[in-house]
Amino acid sequence: MRALAFLCVLAPLAALADEQPDLAERQAELLRAEIANQIQLQAAELLDELVLGWTKEPPFETASPTVLAGLSVPVSLGTGLEAYLENHFAGLVVKNPGARVQLVHCPACSAWVVHSGAKGTVVSRGFDDPEALAQAGVTSGAKHAVFLDFETEGASLVLRARITTLDASLKIVAAKTLTTSTAVPALLRDNERLKSVAETRKEYLEVLGGRGLLVFPVRVAVRTFAPGFNSTAISTPFLWVMGGAEAAFSQGRAWTASLNLGFTWLPSAHVGVMAQGRVSRLLTGSSTSLTWPDLYLFVGGGVFFVQGRSALIFRESTPTIDEILNINQNNEPRTTLGMFTTGLELRVKNRIGIGAYLETYPSVTNTDNIGTYLQLIFNFQSFGVEVSFCF
Amino acid sequence: MRTAGVIMVLLGGSCAGVFDPILFQSKTERRNMDCLRLSQEEGAERYPGQIPPKGGRALAGFQPDVMACSTRYLQPADRNARDEAILSTLSLQVTELVESAGALAPRSARWHVDAFYPSLAVAQKIAVTARTTLAERGFSVSDRVPTLAAGDVAVLASLPPSEAYRTACARSFETKVLGPDELFLGLMIVDARETRLHAGLCEGGVWRWLP
Repeated sequence: MRALAFLCVLAPLAALADEQPDLAERQAELLRAEIANQIQLQAAELLDELVLGWTKEPPFETASPTVLAGLSVPVSLGTGLEAYLENHFAGLVVKNPGARVQLVHCPACSAWVVHSGAKGTVVSRGFDDPEALAQAGVTSGAKHAVFLDFETEGASLVLRARITTLDASLKIVAAKTLTTSTAVPALLRDNERLKSVAETRKEYLEVLGGRGLLVFPVRVAVRTFAPGFNSTAISTPFLWVMGGAEAAFSQGRAWTASLNLGFTWLPSAHVGVMAQGRVSRLLTGSSTSLTWPDLYLFVGGGVFFVQGRSALIFRESTPTIDEILNINQNNEPRTTLGMFTTGLELRVKNRIGIGAYLETYPSVTNTDNIGTYLQLIFNFQSFGVEVSFCF
Repeated sequence: MRTAGVIMVLLGGSCAGVFDPILFQSKTERRNMDCLRLSQEEGAERYPGQIPPKGGRALAGFQPDVMACSTRYLQPADRNARDEAILSTLSLQVTELVESAGALAPRSARWHVDAFYPSLAVAQKIAVTARTTLAERGFSVSDRVPTLAAGDVAVLASLPPSEAYRTACARSFETKVLGPDELFLGLMIVDARETRLHAGLCEGGVWRWLP
């Protein structure tokens, strides 16, 4: 029985050992595929750059029929990448007629040709022996051949492109070496609207500049107070318009601090002003995203002053109907309160945001008119929501 | 992602690394990186948004340096070690040799280039690099590779390399494979164990090795 159990344990291991060479081969294939996937963006980018260069400085005076004679990828990488890059190059040339390269189809150009003459028998590719093609009556109309060669050199990918005449001399009429580095992200340019690296860099800097260290948020907020437990008086919501400045500690905007001044007014009810400071911490990562909303947690403190009927709510006792109706214009009730705020703000691309927060008023503890929304270490008597626009 | 760029900021003159993502890389991964040391100004220029521009600390006398590291595309084991050594320094080696050759030859000559290396794929890469580099420098370059008759090739194959190139050059001139205004630049490794390319120039039937 023990021997059987032993066999049961060892059998799968033996089977695994038998599969090892397959596994290693499969892993190597996966690895090659992974590398090819990473290289393809950079390679496509180099082709973009090449064709963009041709549109600015065309290799020919007039559009010339050209055959794509060869495209080779880095040694040890497969032909799938070659096919992808050939298609990408053809697409670029077709969509950018300004490059003056008119691709023609010439299967015989890349076929092996055997040519016997007085000097002997020569075996070569068609584009290496255009005379042999001409004698064989193969005419594609191509006058030039373009060769594209990719190779990795350490952390750089290098493209060497050359155009040769398709005559006996096979003279190289245009040559270009382009290189990139893995530290530079792919630009992902549109085939039809190619842009230079300098233009793309400018756009990138503008995007970065859009999230500069200093922004100026304008906030529209509604602040409500919890009704008192035994009170019949309910506070009117306060509508605030606030503006200020917000500074980031780094370009990642993981930490920000802001100072805001606010104003509130409700006809026949109140007028008030407020000053508030906040410190915010990004919760969704270590830097803001250009594509996804960012969530911030913020804490802050401030003080506000309000004058008018609405200020009666902050008294210790419940205001009577007479007090509410017969306000003396020259002696309106007024109050000044300090507060601490904590809340969350969801911001999109550092432009617009929406937030919700709770506030505690340390001086509003003995009033019957104001209750508590949440009791968590502090009594949070006020709840508010706001919409922000940053400039 | 294996080829992601990695940036490391160092405090110049002090031992503390401000931000060192390389710490999280294994020893093998670190060995497969190409690193470049830059000044903070240059780092901010080349990697905007990742390297901050010169701040107050720089004004106060600190001179921080930036180390920009990128992972190589291919792991050392992905290709033959000799091929990898040649290919990863291809531009550097070929440019040096082409510049030496260009300085020795008349400007009006037409160039033919070929490479001799055990792997045909790598030989083609070497030849393409040399042709492209010469053409970019304004030389008249042909894509045609001079070929000798089969009998000549059979004889050349039996000679040691030092003799074979000399004989092939003379024979090319005698058989008019190469004309008087044509040059042949050959790039090769002489010893199968070396990773350093050599080059020779065939002009008027005379072969000379480039320094």
